[in-house]
Amino acid sequence: MIEPVSELLMFQVGARVFASTVRDVVRIGNVADVPPGELVEGTSLGPTFARERGIVVAAEGGGEATLVVDQVLGVRSVPESELQPLPAFAAAVIRSGAVSGLVLLDEAPTLIVDLPTLVRERRSAAPAAPPTA
Amino acid sequence: MSPVRPTSDSLPAGALRAGQEAWFFCLRIHGGRYAFEAPLVTEVVRLGPLTRLPAAPSFLPGVFTHRGEVLPVLDIGQLVGQGAITIRPSTRAAVVHCGPWKVAVISDGLEGLVVIPRRQLEPPPAESVGMAEFLSGVARDKLGTIAVLDLPRLVEAARSRAVPAGSAGP
Repeated sequence: MIEPVSELLMFQVGARVFASTVRDVVRIGNVADVPPGELVEGTSLGPTFARERGIVVAAEGGGEATLVVDQVLGVRSVPESELQPLPAFAAAVIRSGAVSGLVLLDEAPTLIVDLPTLVRERRSAAPAAPPTA
Repeated sequence: MSPVRPTSDSLPAGALRAGQEAWFFCLRIHGGRYAFEAPLVTEVVRLGPLTRLPAAPSFLPGVFTHRGEVLPVLDIGQLVGQGAITIRPSTRAAVVHCGPWKVAVISDGLEGLVVIPRRQLEPPPAESVGMAEFLSGVARDKLGTIAVLDLPRLVEAARSRAVPAGSAGP
């Protein structure tokens, strides 16, 4: 019997590695190719260093938003049995709904980020700057 | 790592007589000795590498895995405004169940189980700030004073003080 697997996009923000489900991702792009108004950065995942790569996601209400990250590390197929929900206490106290769970990679918990929620929270906290060009 | 199971071998004679003595789990936080009801503790584990969570309150320094289970860490010092507990490679945590919540409580050091005759439990001071807000009693043994915490109330206060983005319950 074949165990169901999840396709996870692995990416890095600062020194930390995160994962997201591939189905949330429209495409991967370069930050330099994106109008500044469509960039989403300064999220609760932490500050970026290189801010070179962008993960494009569908934005609420149509259009696209590009989450600025430092590196896109690739896609990993992970057995669904290795995915875990956030512990109940942690889910009840963190001020973000953007962490949908964890995946154990090499026994270390890596956060699974709900990219549309992350983008929505960032934009509702501080509207994106208008395009300068 | 270390299941918490009281054994009568480590007790003074008669210590298990129901209703006369109470079991507490004792730990040290910023120089003070604190304890809570021992049956809340399921085991003592060594803290693994922490994964920090975004937008987490200061009393939740992260999560770690233990036997494949992800456990949230509770820093009581931060919760009551006494400052963060320093996490070292040797830091151990007491895994506790408080109602629906399962958390790993860290401290500066674990003393383990203590038996306190119930008649020696004194009411907590009337203060209602910091750790005193969550005391259910005060006891003394040969090592000094032990402040007895109402841990379920403290954990629930942590949950209610936070501003969750999602569900408020498991």
